[in-house]
Amino acid sequence: MSENNTKASRESCPILEIKGLQKSFNDLAVLRDISLSVEPGNVVSIIGPSGSGKSTLLRCAAFLETAEKGDILYDGKYALRDGVYAEKAELNRFRTLFGMVFQNFNLFPHYSVMKNICEPPILRGEIKAEVEERALGLLKKMGLEGRENAYPYQLSGGQQQRVAIARALALNPEILFFDEPTSALDPELTGEVLKVIRQLADDHMTMVVVTHEMAFARAISNRVIFMDGGYIIEEGDPEEVFGNPKKERTKRFLSNYNQ
Amino acid sequence: MKKILVLFMALVMLTALTGCSSGKDSGSKSADKKKFIMGIDPEYPPFSYLGDDGKYTGFDVEVCQAACDYLGWDLEIFAVNWDEKLIQLDSNECDCVWSGMTILDSMKEAGYIISKPYYDNTQVLVVKDDSGFNSSADLAGKLVAVQLGTSGEALLNGDLADLAATFGDVITADSFLKCFTELAGNAVDAVFVDMPVAADYVAKNAGYRIIDEQLGAEQYGIAFRSRDEELAKQIEDAVAALVENGTYAKIAEKEDYSEIVNNLIFLND
Amino acid sequence: MSLLTMILKMGEGLGKTCAIFFLTLLFSLPLGMVVALLRMSKNKVISAITRFFINILRGTPLMLQLLAVTYGPYYLFGISVSRNKLIPVVIAFAINYAAYFAEIYRGGIESIPTGQYEAAEVLGYSRFQTFMRIILPQVVKRIMPSITNEVVTLVKDTSLAFTVSYQEMFTIGKQIANSQTSFLPFVVAGVFYYIFNLIVDRVMGRVEKRLNYYK
Repeated sequence: MSENNTKASRESCPILEIKGLQKSFNDLAVLRDISLSVEPGNVVSIIGPSGSGKSTLLRCAAFLETAEKGDILYDGKYALRDGVYAEKAELNRFRTLFGMVFQNFNLFPHYSVMKNICEPPILRGEIKAEVEERALGLLKKMGLEGRENAYPYQLSGGQQQRVAIARALALNPEILFFDEPTSALDPELTGEVLKVIRQLADDHMTMVVVTHEMAFARAISNRVIFMDGGYIIEEGDPEEVFGNPKKERTKRFLSNYNQ
Repeated sequence: MKKILVLFMALVMLTALTGCSSGKDSGSKSADKKKFIMGIDPEYPPFSYLGDDGKYTGFDVEVCQAACDYLGWDLEIFAVNWDEKLIQLDSNECDCVWSGMTILDSMKEAGYIISKPYYDNTQVLVVKDDSGFNSSADLAGKLVAVQLGTSGEALLNGDLADLAATFGDVITADSFLKCFTELAGNAVDAVFVDMPVAADYVAKNAGYRIIDEQLGAEQYGIAFRSRDEELAKQIEDAVAALVENGTYAKIAEKEDYSEIVNNLIFLND
Repeated sequence: MSLLTMILKMGEGLGKTCAIFFLTLLFSLPLGMVVALLRMSKNKVISAITRFFINILRGTPLMLQLLAVTYGPYYLFGISVSRNKLIPVVIAFAINYAAYFAEIYRGGIESIPTGQYEAAEVLGYSRFQTFMRIILPQVVKRIMPSITNEVVTLVKDTSLAFTVSYQEMFTIGKQIANSQTSFLPFVVAGVFYYIFNLIVDRVMGRVEKRLNYYK
């Protein structure tokens, strides 16, 4: 394989690939031998009960948690190899590939909407005017036109999460992680956020979404992963996993949800 | 501005109130023995200081104790904050200030009863042995330390202000120890201090000497509140009796007081 | 001595009081941040040593620390006592206040949710950028009321400089009170401190208001 990957060869390899990942908090194993891969343009949803390890998996992929064993590859290059992380500079390069949307938005409260979105790309050396133009376009896409000078506290939860999504997108990531993006929202506000994510799926944005919104996961995903107890129990086409689950634990989990 | 005025008024009223509320104890006649509270500067040897046994002692303390014994009173000793001694006297924290206190005209003007002087004091300059200063004139432009609230400080602000003006600066410290530490540490060039204190310090610490020049002679006395005329007389009479019966001389002859014995007025008359 | 002469004379000392005040803030505010970061160091030895010193500085009177800084070097090493007393006074004040500020900073820094660090990390902020741009501004807003408290205390604490014979306003007040056998200089001193703190209060209030653009 040549070092200078052509676009064609890049599309042939997964953007994110995880192999045999293991992670424990003290003595509690949270991830036991997790493997998955995300192809360009795909939307992968991860579902499962609380404490199943799905958020930890996402956080490991974003280097927010340290895994103990396994491999993490971005674009076919090792960020983690047999439990050993790449060098700091290398990791920083990998960080430019993904974006993350948190359950609690984690907007910077002392920054306006515009500064929240624009500062990271500007710090990476992009030209201010270009970034600002892009930010305005993203805000329009998020349905937040005219709110660029607002501060986070002046926005509803749903609006804040949409700003957070715009902030992640402003860095032009190849893959976007969503960690329970609607769990902190009032029920009437989840719709506007889900709508935006659906729109991104329609634009073929590569995404991994940890969620409790089953109908949403079923509708937007190319693939669904069901996790429990640190294991991937079942994965596949959403219609299969939701419509005709093969494993007993998946059935039980989904039936609890449908009640 | 209004707030400041209100605060000012409040402070003034507070001062006035403390003044009014005094006057309960000194004249009271109880079946118990009368209690007399002596106000001292606990850091002024050999007149008043904390002895090796942890009790206040000193020439003034011993004389006062003898006077109280003579009168059949109980003596209680109160350590005043020297630069606030008269305020503390006014607020009845003590019944007199008796601690190598220099008699100042301003005290009399303020209405305090001052006893007959019992000690003739003189201020001197203490310098380091190797300093080469031999007169107050040599200290022109130099730094001189003086204890806050002492007669030395009052003199430098008053009768000796002209001399003080020739010094580079006058540093006021809040204890003699600090004055001498400043001198030892070369932060000042001389300490302006009462003769007996200077003699005591030079005798106990090598490397210092007194400039042979007596500056601003002054006298020590006891201060009482203006309304305690009778109390003042009782104490003065008692001391006179002690002088008469030889107790006073006996105290003064002690080794500890050798530095001051020659300046005691009652023994030299 | 007239009230006016008294005020003028004490006013001379006010300059020195201000010198203690501003120099202490100038040095202790940044020093406190260094101490806070050492205190939060992941190295347990550094953290424990820092904690020990903070405890000593907060657990002993400032007056003793002033004496120690001014005369300690002479008694311990025979180093001459400083002729300019402002130096030891400011050193002692700055160290003492840095210890207090450090604990305030630490409380502020620890109160910032970890999500802020995580978001910054994912967005590509370096650790230094994260601290300077994201954490510190939020910390400053949160700790402003506590800082104001300390600054008000500092105004009053400047009077402690008299213990090492620094001729600031209160020392001069005491001298006048003594020579005039009058309580009035203390009233004047009280008014001076009150006005000083009135100004401090205004300024800090304005700063806090400025930081109120977000919640």
